[in-house]
Amino acid sequence: MIGTYLKTTGLALALGGWAGMAAADPSLDLVGPLADYKIYVAENTAQLVADAEAFTTAIKAGDLDKAKALFAPTRTSYEKIEPIAELFSDLDVSIDARADDFEKAEADEAFTGFHRLEYGLWEKGSTEGLAPFADRLMADIHTLNERINGLTFPPEVVVGGAAALMEEVAATKISGEEDRYSRTDLWDFDANFAGSQKIYDLLKPLIAKQDPEFVAKVDGNFAAVDAVLAKYKEGDGYVSYEKLTDADRNLLSSKVNTLAEDLSTLRGKLGLG
Amino acid sequence: MSNPPSRGIYLAILGAAVLAVAGGAAFWTASRQKPQTSADQIVTVDARSCQPNAITVPGGRRSFEIVNASDRPIEWEIVDGVMVVAERENIAPGFHATLAVQLAPGSYEMTCGLLTNPRGTLTVTASDEATAAASEVTLKKFLGPLSEYRVYLVMQGNQAVKAAEKLRDAIDAGDLPAARAAWAEARLPYRRVEPLAYRFSDLENVIDPSAAYLAGREQDPGFTGYHRIEYGLFAQNSTEGLAPVADRLVADLGTLAERLKAAPLDPALLLALPGAMARQLAEAQIPEGENSYAGNDARDLTAATEGIAKLTGLLRQVVASVDPKLDAELGTEMQAATDAVAALQGQDWSQVPAEQRQKLAADFTRLAETLDRLQPIIGMN
Repeated sequence: MIGTYLKTTGLALALGGWAGMAAADPSLDLVGPLADYKIYVAENTAQLVADAEAFTTAIKAGDLDKAKALFAPTRTSYEKIEPIAELFSDLDVSIDARADDFEKAEADEAFTGFHRLEYGLWEKGSTEGLAPFADRLMADIHTLNERINGLTFPPEVVVGGAAALMEEVAATKISGEEDRYSRTDLWDFDANFAGSQKIYDLLKPLIAKQDPEFVAKVDGNFAAVDAVLAKYKEGDGYVSYEKLTDADRNLLSSKVNTLAEDLSTLRGKLGLG
Repeated sequence: MSNPPSRGIYLAILGAAVLAVAGGAAFWTASRQKPQTSADQIVTVDARSCQPNAITVPGGRRSFEIVNASDRPIEWEIVDGVMVVAERENIAPGFHATLAVQLAPGSYEMTCGLLTNPRGTLTVTASDEATAAASEVTLKKFLGPLSEYRVYLVMQGNQAVKAAEKLRDAIDAGDLPAARAAWAEARLPYRRVEPLAYRFSDLENVIDPSAAYLAGREQDPGFTGYHRIEYGLFAQNSTEGLAPVADRLVADLGTLAERLKAAPLDPALLLALPGAMARQLAEAQIPEGENSYAGNDARDLTAATEGIAKLTGLLRQVVASVDPKLDAELGTEMQAATDAVAALQGQDWSQVPAEQRQKLAADFTRLAETLDRLQPIIGMN
């Protein structure tokens, strides 16, 4: 029934590890963090599916208050996993594009997804006419979930994702243009930071020994960002983006830029440059 | 009276000339700025499109300088079907950014500013550099597949525990039909990860021993795990006395799940697992049967085949660019084995004629032999 020789050689292979790799090559030590990251993403897409069910159901039931309350928390699972989600060009557009990505802005028929719903709920103050957009969002999220489950994550995208999320915050979130109708930008901020920090935390054990100064600096900047965001927490989420003071916006901006720059060196440090 | 040209006209002409010179100077300055790059290709994105809108580059590591000549921030992407191959996000108006990317020969598209703008085309031609990059076997190419297999081990390991808990609950409730159904379900995640799981021999001996290999057969105190429960449910037709066995199985599968999660994976192991499993099926379960009381080997074999297919699919990701022919052969053999197992569903294994089993065993042996050919091509030691 069982080939004993296979067992012994198999275990020897499994336990033998990997020797003789050149220093510039990535290490097998990355396998654990990369796998853990996919599990994190899978948990978030499962959460996204569940949250989007509730959000789109509220819209279709015409429950404006409930739909508005569920908009920001539903988005957070998407914002956390954006480095992977945005690999799918078609879905990223239909789920998360902003009005100004289109020629006719809000009036463009290709304008769909979260921000189309946000526009309807806040600018128009109504769930009317939103049902087809809700159905489309739900279908897209199911497709996203299936595609992510079937995807072998490219290591350089995962490792590069920590910086990519910070660049995203720096370029489009600090200005407050992401959630312009609902002013729930700080929820997205928090999710982008959490997603970036997750990648960084998973990789930290691989670099902590050789680069303690780098780790101390990045840890410090993440803590500084957390401290600023903590001031604006309200219930399970955040106050309106309009309440963010100029001083705090500037502080966040500078920390985010530094984090983006520092985290962009992770790929090189881990042989995935 | 003739009307000599007014002074104003002269001034206007002079003004136009000055503007033309100034415009030319501005253009000259702008065009002087762009070629400062060492990029292989400059792409200017204006309000409507990419310039040029159709680009051809040789395969390999190529760099692009993206100039934003529109009045809004842009992102520039290279897209292969629905997948983004590489991107530079958030390039401000008037700014430029570079992007370096490893490109395999093929046809790609470029996004050009507004999503409503037409996409440009990027054609990547064959080159020595691209051929060398494709045929190179590096640890980096294994990292994604190894990580993906670890995810699979974790997911299926957890699933095995959950399914065994459901089986235990049905046994505790004394519900024989529910317990039989739960038993058949509980086998599946275990069979999917068996290529690695059976290598933990201490656990394998308590989770999956067969009475035929024990001195005291069904009465042997070492007869535990899945098949002990199968014996109770399908041969003795009762849930009686099975509760402690089910509790033990849940606990042992919990330990297995922990081990699967922590097992160090490397390319050599990934290469060894699917062929060894396929061979084992061809030599043991297919000819002799394993679930001798329930007779549902066909269903178990579906899950075992899925486990082999997962590994084979991951190895194909590595070999695809190195040896496309072998990649295609693996696809064919894997499909043949999958189809052959599917054709036998619903049959009690003891009723499957010997020649049909031999044929199925041959399918798995051939698959194993095809998998063996991977070692000299993508083996790393």
